[in-house]
Amino acid sequence: MNDLSASSQIAYRAALVQPARVHRIRGLSDKALAWLFITPTIVLLLAINIFPLIWTIYLSFTNYRANRPNVPMRWLGIDWYQTILTDPDIWAAMQVTAHFVIWTVLIETVLGFGLAFLIDKKFRGHGVWTTIILLPMMLSPAVVGNFWTFLYQPQIGLFNYVLAFFTGSGASSFQMLGDVTLSPWAIVIVDVWMWTPYVMLICIAGLRSIPDFIYEAAEVDRASKWRQFWSITLPMALPFIMLAVLFRGIENFKMFDMVNLLTGGGPGSTTEVASITLKRAAFESWRTGYSSAFAIILFVTVFGLANIYVKALNRVKSR
Amino acid sequence: MSIDATSCKPRRGFMDKLLRRGPLEAVATTIIAVGVIMLMQPFSLVLYSWSFATTLFGTVMFIIVSRVRE
Amino acid sequence: MSIANAAHSIVEPTAGTRRFAGSLVMLYAVVTMIPLIWIVLTSFKSPDDAISYPPKLVFQPSLEGYCNLVTTRSRQTPEFIQTLGPPQGLCDGIARERNMVVAGPSNYVPRFINSLIIAFGSTVLAVALGTLSAYGFSRFRVPLKEDLLFFILSTRMMPPIAVAIPIYLMYRVIGLSDTRLGMILLYTSVNVSLAVWLLKGFIDEIPREYEEAAMIDGYTRFQAFVRVVLPQATTGIAATAIFCLIFAWNEYAFAVLLTSGNAQTAPPFIPIIIGEGGQDWPAVAAGTTLFLVPIVVFTVLLRKHLLRGITFGAVRK
Repeated sequence: MNDLSASSQIAYRAALVQPARVHRIRGLSDKALAWLFITPTIVLLLAINIFPLIWTIYLSFTNYRANRPNVPMRWLGIDWYQTILTDPDIWAAMQVTAHFVIWTVLIETVLGFGLAFLIDKKFRGHGVWTTIILLPMMLSPAVVGNFWTFLYQPQIGLFNYVLAFFTGSGASSFQMLGDVTLSPWAIVIVDVWMWTPYVMLICIAGLRSIPDFIYEAAEVDRASKWRQFWSITLPMALPFIMLAVLFRGIENFKMFDMVNLLTGGGPGSTTEVASITLKRAAFESWRTGYSSAFAIILFVTVFGLANIYVKALNRVKSR
Repeated sequence: MSIDATSCKPRRGFMDKLLRRGPLEAVATTIIAVGVIMLMQPFSLVLYSWSFATTLFGTVMFIIVSRVRE
Repeated sequence: MSIANAAHSIVEPTAGTRRFAGSLVMLYAVVTMIPLIWIVLTSFKSPDDAISYPPKLVFQPSLEGYCNLVTTRSRQTPEFIQTLGPPQGLCDGIARERNMVVAGPSNYVPRFINSLIIAFGSTVLAVALGTLSAYGFSRFRVPLKEDLLFFILSTRMMPPIAVAIPIYLMYRVIGLSDTRLGMILLYTSVNVSLAVWLLKGFIDEIPREYEEAAMIDGYTRFQAFVRVVLPQATTGIAATAIFCLIFAWNEYAFAVLLTSGNAQTAPPFIPIIIGEGGQDWPAVAAGTTLFLVPIVVFTVLLRKHLLRGITFGAVRK
C-alpha cells in the first residue's frame, strides 16, 4: 500500500515537472486550441442539423417522394408553399395548435406562478414538496402520456371515475379522448399536469431575485400587500415569466409525442396539431417535397421565436 | 480614436438614432410576433397566407439587425 | 439575503400565511402525484383488478404485470401443462395458473437495453464535445461567439418532425437507418447544444486565476484544462450528463419515426404492449414504472441544478 502511494507520488511529481519542458517545445497557441475545442461540436451540428436542413429546403422546391426515390425529380419552385399557405385544412391545424398553445400556456402560467408565490413563503418542508411537484416535468411525455389514455378510459379509468364521483354523472357517460369537444381539453389537462412545474420553477427564481429591501421600503411607505404585489412582485418577476411563457409556447407549438399517443390527432381532426399533420404527410403519405415545405414553414416560425427567446434569456442573465 | 469619438457624437442625427440596434431589434421582434399570430389566427385566410412571409422577413431582419453596431 | 432572513424582518410572512401556503402546495403535490402512484399500483395488479369498476385501491398484489412485460407466453391445454415438470421460475408459475407456459423473453428487454445503450452513448459523446466547446467559448476570444452560441442553441429548438424528414433520407443513403449508432449521433447533436450552454455557465464560474497559476507553474493550456478546470467542473459535468441522459432516455418522436426494430428504444414500444384482447394495462404500467424509476432517482439527485438545466444555464440561483 505504502509502496503504491509512494510510487504514485513520484509519478505525480514527474507529471508536475514535465509540463515545463513540454510547454517550451510544443504548446498549442490559445487560438489553435480554441478551434480544436469548438470544431468537433460545430462539425457534428453541421452534419446532423444544418446539412439536412439545407437538403429539406432543396426538397421543398421539388416533387420528391421518399417512397419512390427513382421517379425523376421535378423542380416546382414555390408551389408547395403556395399550396400549404392557402390550404384551409392546414390553417385549421394551425388553429388547433393555437388553441392548444394558448390554453396550456395560460393555465400553466397562472398555476405555476401561483404555486411559486406560495412556495416563496418558505413554509417548513417547502424544498421536499417542490421536488415532488417537479417530478412530472422530468418524465417522458410519451410514456406518461400513454398512461393517461388508461386514466381517461370510460368506466375503468381513474380520471373518469373521480370526475363522475364529484359531478354525479356516470363514469362512462363521457369519453375524454373520443369526444369532439372534450379531447382537446384532455390533451391540455395532461400538458398542464406535466409542465406547470416548469413554469413554477422559473417563477420561483424570479421571485427570489427580488431583493428584500424593496419590500421593506414599500412596508415603510405603508403600501398594501395588494399594491406591493402589482407594483413590485409582478413587474420584477415578469422577465422570468416571459422566459417560461416563450419556452412553453415554442415547445407546445411543436408538440408531437403526447398528442400522438393520447389521440393521434383524432377524433376526426379535432386535435390534429401541426406536428401531427406534418407527420402524416411525411411518414404516412410520403409526400416528401410537400412536407419539407411545411417543415420549413414550422421551422422558420420556431427559429423566429427562438430569437426572441434568446433575447429574453440574456435579459434574465444580466439580472 | 478618442478625437474621432467626440467629434462624432454631436453629429448623430435622427436617422442615426433610429438605426441603432435597440429599436430595430424591437421592430424585428414585433414583426416576428405578428407573423406568428397571423399564422394561427382564425379570422382571415389571407392573413394566414402572408404569415410565413412576414415571419421570414422579421427573422431575416432580426439576424441582420443584431449585428448592427451597438 | 442571510441578514434579512435571520432577523425578524417586516417582510417575513406570518406563521399563519406560511401554514396556509404550505397546505395549498401540499394539496397540489398530492393531486399531481396521483397519476404516478396509480401507475405503480396498476403495475402490481392482476389484469382483472386493473380494469375493475370501481377502480380498486385495495387488491391482492401480483407480479403478473412484470412477468407479462418481460416474457411471451403461449396458451396450452391444462392436460398438457400437467405433463410438464414443476414451473421454471416465478413467471412460469404465474403463467401456468392461466393455462399458459412461458415461451421466451419479450421484446421489452432488448428495447430497454437499446434505451440504455443509446442514452449512455449519446450522453458521453455530448458531454465530451460539450465540455471542450464550453471551455473554448468560456475562455477564448472566438469570432462570432454570440452567433455560434445562438446557432448551437437554435438546433435544439427545431421541431423534431421537421428534422426527422431529412435525417430519415440521409440515414437511408449512408446506411444508418434503424441503427443504434445513428440514434446515438442524432441524440448527441440534440444534447450537445444543452451541454455547451450549461457547461459554459459552470466553467464561467471557475476563476481563471486557477489556470493562470497552473500555467505559470509550467502547465500548457491543455494541461491546465485537464488537471485544473476539469476537476473543478465535476459537479457541473455530472449535472449536465444527467440532463442529457434524461433527454435521450425520454425521447419519443425521433425514436418512433426513425427506428422500427433493431434500434428501437422503450418509449415507442411501451404503448404497443398488447395482451390478449386489448392492451395489457398491468404490463404497460410495469414497463412504465421500470422506465420511470431511474428518472425519479436522477431528479432527486439533480434538484439543485434543475433550474439551470431548464434555462440553458441562464438562471443560476
